[in-house]
Order: sequence, then C-alpha cells, then structure tokens
Amino acid sequence: MSERADADFGRAGVAAILGLAVAWELLGWLDVSMFVPPLSGVAVTWWKLLGDGTLAKAASSSLVSLVKGFVPAAGLGVLLGLAMGRFRTVRQVFDPWVNALMSAPLSALVPVLIALFGVRDTVVAATVFMFSFFVVVVNTTAGVRATDRSLVEMARAFGAGEATLFGRIYLPHALPAVLLGLRLGVVQAVKGMVVGEMLISLVGLGERLIYYGNTFLITELYAVILSVLVVALLAAQAVQACDRALVRWK
Amino acid sequence: MVAREAGVPVPAAGAVSIAIDGVSKAFGSVQALADVDVRVRAGEFLSLIGPSGCGKTTLLKIVAGLVPADRGRVTVGDRTVTGPGPECSVVFQDFALLPWSTVQKNVEFGLLLRGVSPGERAERAQRTIAKVGLAGFERAYPAQLSGGMQQRVGLARALAVSPRVLLMDEPFASIDEQTRRVFQDDLLSLWSEERKTVVLVTHSMEEAIYLSDRVVVLSPRPGRVHQVLEVPLPRPREGGDVRATAEFARLVDGLWKILRKLQ
Repeated sequence: MSERADADFGRAGVAAILGLAVAWELLGWLDVSMFVPPLSGVAVTWWKLLGDGTLAKAASSSLVSLVKGFVPAAGLGVLLGLAMGRFRTVRQVFDPWVNALMSAPLSALVPVLIALFGVRDTVVAATVFMFSFFVVVVNTTAGVRATDRSLVEMARAFGAGEATLFGRIYLPHALPAVLLGLRLGVVQAVKGMVVGEMLISLVGLGERLIYYGNTFLITELYAVILSVLVVALLAAQAVQACDRALVRWK
Repeated sequence: MVAREAGVPVPAAGAVSIAIDGVSKAFGSVQALADVDVRVRAGEFLSLIGPSGCGKTTLLKIVAGLVPADRGRVTVGDRTVTGPGPECSVVFQDFALLPWSTVQKNVEFGLLLRGVSPGERAERAQRTIAKVGLAGFERAYPAQLSGGMQQRVGLARALAVSPRVLLMDEPFASIDEQTRRVFQDDLLSLWSEERKTVVLVTHSMEEAIYLSDRVVVLSPRPGRVHQVLEVPLPRPREGGDVRATAEFARLVDGLWKILRKLQ
C-alpha cells in the first residue's frame, strides 16, 4: 500500500482505504484479538451510537471546544504571523517562543493548563488553542517573508505607504501560506481537543474514548475513533474549501 | 516634423527634465555610484548602459525615489526627489505584476494607489490596455500570459497614471529576441505620440542605439559617467530598416569599443 489517501482522494487512495477495510474485516472474523473487532460490527455500533444521541452529545461538546479554541488561535495566529513577517523586532521577540512551543510536546503543558483554567470546558478550548496557534503563526510569517521584493518596490513607486503595502501586497501574497497554516492548524486543533478531553476535562468525544477504553467496549471505542477522524477530515476540508474560494489565481 | 527629421525630440506639453547632480551611493563597503552627473532633457529618450555592477539600476532607482542617494541630488521637473513622486512611473525587469490580480486590476493598480475613482480607473486602464495591444486580455491572470505580454501589462500599468517620466529597468531583458523587436517598435510609436521623458536601463547596445536620443555609458565600481553618446539616427525609426543601415552599425560598433575598454 504505497499510495495513501490524503486530501485528494485518487483512485489509488480509494483502493487503499477499501483494502484496509477488507483486511480489517477479515482479521475481525479470524478473531485474532478482542481489540480487532470486525469493521462491520464497528459500523453497526457507530450507527447505534449515532441513533441514541451518544455521539451527537459528545461531538457537540467537543465541537464547541474546537470552535472556542481554534477561532481565536486562527485570528490571533494570523495577526501575530503578519506582524512577525513584517517587522523584524516583533520576529526577534517572538521567534524563540513560537519555535519552542511549536516543537514542545504540548501534553507536557497539561498540568500548567489545569492550573490556569481548572478542569472546566474552557481548558479544552485552551488545549485546542495551544495545539493549533503556533503552526498558524509560523506559516503566516513564512508567507509574508516570502513576498516578492519587486512587488513591494512597485507598490512603493506608486506611492504606497505601510498600510497599503500590508493590505495590497503582503497580505494577498501571504494568503496561500496562511490558508495552509489554517489547514494544518485545524488538524492540530482536533488533536488538542481530544488530548484536552482525555487528559484533563473528561468531556465530549475524549471522555467517550476513555470510558469505552476503560470498560473494554472495543467496538464503541473504534466507533468514536472513527468519529474523531471524520471531524478532523471535515474540518480540514472546510478550510480547503476556503482556500479554493480565496486563492483562485494559483 | 522638421525638427523630428533632424533628430531633435519634440517634447510633449508637460514633459519634464531630470537633473542628476553629484549623486553617490554605497552599499556597505561597495561604492556603487560616485559623483554621477546626468541631465535628461524634457521629452528625451535616454539610455543608461554599462558593464554589470556599474550601478545603472541603482541610479534609476534613485531617480525613482526608491533608493535614497548618499550624496548629491536629483531633480525631476522642479521637484527634488526625496521619495517616489507622482510624475514618475517605473517599468520593472521582472514585470512585478500582482499574480493574484487580472490584467485589468494590475493596470488599475497605480490609479488605485493614487486615489482615482473606480469608474475612471476601469476606463483609463481599458484604454491603456488597448494601447499596448492587449485588448481582450483584461480578465486574464499574469501566469496565463507570455513574458512579452506580461511586460506589456507592466508598461500599461506605468502609462495608465499618465506619468511625465517613464523609468524603465531592463524591461526587455527577459523577453525573447523576436518579441523584443516588435515590443521595441511599439514602445517607440507609443513614445512618439506623446514624448514623455524616458530613462531606460539596458545592457543591450543595439537596444540603446535603436531607441535612444542619447546613451550614457557608466563605468563600473564605482559607477561614474564615462561618456555620453549622441544617437543622430533619424526618427521615426520604428517599422523601418534602421538596423540595416551602415550608420546604425557604426554607432553600435562605436558603443562596443567604448564598453569593451570598461570590461
């Protein structure tokens, strides 16, 4: 299985997914382990959890945290990224922090977040923010910094001031990189959501993962895992749709 | 007409002269320009040529107000240059088109930055696009055009703001030879309609002779004015066989002899 399904599902990608599904199903029937239930069983359970409202309840709590964490992360991340891309001093001040926190294992910060936000829902939004903010910042900064010097010179020759340069040159130039950052960021945000819910708050889909894991309800566990994957995929697709709508010139 | 045949430019009403007085510029420890004096007459087509590293592009950018001079001063008309001014338009070697904007929006860009109303912007851009021979391409994006067409957009953008001075930084350098010749002729006929003051930076001797009234030869590191060459070829030159004349060959050869010594 050399081809993997990513954002652009090709024929090979679909084949790979189907192949995996078939292999999973067979392993399930062979009963190799209680941790590999047949895929069909997972699907039935998923349908049941969807029907009795378990998934909807958990997912709605999770999605609220996702939005509450990712929207500020995206907004502030783009703003900080633009400033860091444009002004050297801002970059020098924030670069070490951004780089350190982007590569740090963020789960290690969980105790700090608990201390700051307690164990209420807000802490999940905070983990979502922490997971997604930095990748947005880094991509936006890179997009601004890659701006063609001659475009800047051209705009200045027509009398552009700093604000005009920003709005008419730097921002549109950075837009594809910003959207890439948001796409990577939203995937990180889903990770942050699950981590926050599992390790701290015990709400939403993360709480269901822990519960089904601890009670060995394996088909339910897989049903929730697949739901998380669907959430991540849909979120990434939504950002990609924005990308296509906004960056038509590429 | 009489004046034109004698090779003396007839400046457009409102064409301005440029005075470059004692301009010096260093980048770090590299002296790019040292004490450069050039006068460009109103309505004149003047080329700057010289070996690479002679600072000809830097000089053009100083005139455009994009790069400050360390010493000396530049006057365009009666304005002392301290920054980009409304009377100058620049055409860039790499075209500098906004890749996310259509031809129409690219040509409107200068007008937009100068506060022209949307209606007038659209109308003036359309007119200039037609003038440079790109009518029908208004909605195309730069990436869909050839290099020559992209530079026509660059020229249209520069002309759309009705500048008195056109500053061109190796505009034809990245365009293939055949396209370049057609474009040069189009530039000359546009220029003869309305004699703006033009300063052209080039490394092509043929181009300098073919287009210019005078050619300023700069010496390298630091850039100084080495020699100023008059080009007494009659105008209009476009569309004819000026390049095939003995006089043209003699002028190009003369320029080469000067440049060869500077290498």
